[in-house]
Amino acid sequence: MTKRNSWAKITLLLIGAFYALPMLAMARFSFQRMPVVKLGWSTLLDGWTIAPMVDAVTSARFLQASWLSLRLALLTVIISLAILVPTTVYVHVRLIKARAFIEFLSILPYVVPPIALVVGISGAMRSTVPGFLSNPFSLTPFYVIISLPFSFRSLDVGLSSIELKTLVEASRSLGAGWVRTVRSVILPNLRVGVINASFLTFAVVLGEFTIASLLLKFTLPAYMAEAQGNNPQGSFTVGLLLLVVSASLLGVVNRVTRKRGQEVQAIFL
Amino acid sequence: MSITVIKGGGTLYERASTSFFKRVLPWFGILPFVIFVGIFLIWPSVSVFRSALQSVDGAEKPAILEAISGQYLKSILFSVRLSAITALIGMIIGTLVALAIVSLDQMRGLRNWMVGYSAVAANLGGIPLAFAFIASLGMQGLYTKILSVFGINLSAMGFKISDFSGIVLVYLYFQIPLMTLLMLPAIDGLKVTLREAAANLGASQRQYWTNIGLPLLTPSLLGGFLLLFANAFSAYATAFALSSGGTRLVSVQIRFYLQGNTITGKSNLGYALAAWMIIVMTLAMSGYLLLRRVSEKWQR
Repeated sequence: MTKRNSWAKITLLLIGAFYALPMLAMARFSFQRMPVVKLGWSTLLDGWTIAPMVDAVTSARFLQASWLSLRLALLTVIISLAILVPTTVYVHVRLIKARAFIEFLSILPYVVPPIALVVGISGAMRSTVPGFLSNPFSLTPFYVIISLPFSFRSLDVGLSSIELKTLVEASRSLGAGWVRTVRSVILPNLRVGVINASFLTFAVVLGEFTIASLLLKFTLPAYMAEAQGNNPQGSFTVGLLLLVVSASLLGVVNRVTRKRGQEVQAIFL
Repeated sequence: MSITVIKGGGTLYERASTSFFKRVLPWFGILPFVIFVGIFLIWPSVSVFRSALQSVDGAEKPAILEAISGQYLKSILFSVRLSAITALIGMIIGTLVALAIVSLDQMRGLRNWMVGYSAVAANLGGIPLAFAFIASLGMQGLYTKILSVFGINLSAMGFKISDFSGIVLVYLYFQIPLMTLLMLPAIDGLKVTLREAAANLGASQRQYWTNIGLPLLTPSLLGGFLLLFANAFSAYATAFALSSGGTRLVSVQIRFYLQGNTITGKSNLGYALAAWMIIVMTLAMSGYLLLRRVSEKWQR
């Protein structure tokens, strides 16, 4: 018995190290102004500073990039919800037959990698709607698309776990109008799905590099790629911050999902 | 022959038309969503294939055929090989981790922690992940230095963070946790009753695994492999940042054709490579969905 468990413990210990060590190295690089060549026992505690981070987050380029990324993320969340909430509710209440079709459309972005999508975008839209792509906010609809697998699934799981159709019929037959039904039956049941969908979409947009970079839009990841050359320490610090922010967003999603008694799964499933 | 019974009154024409509208009208409710996906996903994808079918300047062959010859084919195969290797290693280690989690189920909180971190790590990627590994195992990386103190010289061993081996290692950071998440429900699905029944019939631990456990897990394992393959094949940002845009991976090569189109006159090749990416992804994802359906039968 103990023998069988010891391999398991060793496996988990090793994998824990594999998960933790890169993050620790990144944190050291970000906060210790000490080239690795000079690093040794005597210099281990020297040169720790937050100056590169302060430099980076107060630089005009960073502020410009993160301001754009934040607005893009918010806008994407709003548009995603505006399209998906009515569609998923409608499908669950009125047209359950269409659910498989909607689900199929929502996983299609998996088979079109972002790099292929951006090639198609410039092919289809550069010539037909030339003004559209020059606006940085033209990224929004494509971000709605690439986060579709996660956002649709969050809302769909939330609605599938309750008998929405029955609840709506009950509410209607008790004399509630549609407005009241939406407000006191549908929306409360959607809350978890909406939170999950928003957080996942937000995290996806903050980290997206491919489409923004090829359409020459200066978002946060594009800033990191640019600053890698002239302020590597600052750029790595921003990378660390972004990791912490997206990990927290995903962590909240996990927590909310687990509270509802559902097994946490990767957003791919 | 089928007989349709139409209920209700009215003339035959009225009945037919109301039932037609009754059937079709509700579908208008999903129209906004369908149009949105049509414009921002389907249209660009179709446009990829339309340009891929045109020829490269001065050639007779359509670009999509040109792309499977010479250096272009090499870059596609490079991507396929890299994705297959990360998928294989990720599949094995991810499954081992899932088995370890299940066998240590009595340790409280362990499963929650591992699942929670895996769900985060499986979705990390892009530039920050590349930075973390450059700080670890790049030329000036912390662990490159620590290992060299012990006499292990990574670059002399042929390891370079921007090369094949380095990219494989970095991708494993999101491949392993993804596989763990995929395998946990499958391993949970191996019912204790099966193990006990086998033991009662005198099967050894090894016989149980080779004759029952492994065959039951095979669809999940293969499905996981395909999903991991697709995951690595479509990745762009991580490899781009690791190699400063210099790798032969097809996703990064496409950028070159797309941006250099005015000079080289070969922009259709970018479309052709993108088209091949979509084809490969479609095959891998269809296989994954098919195998998932098979494996879900056992998990009920």
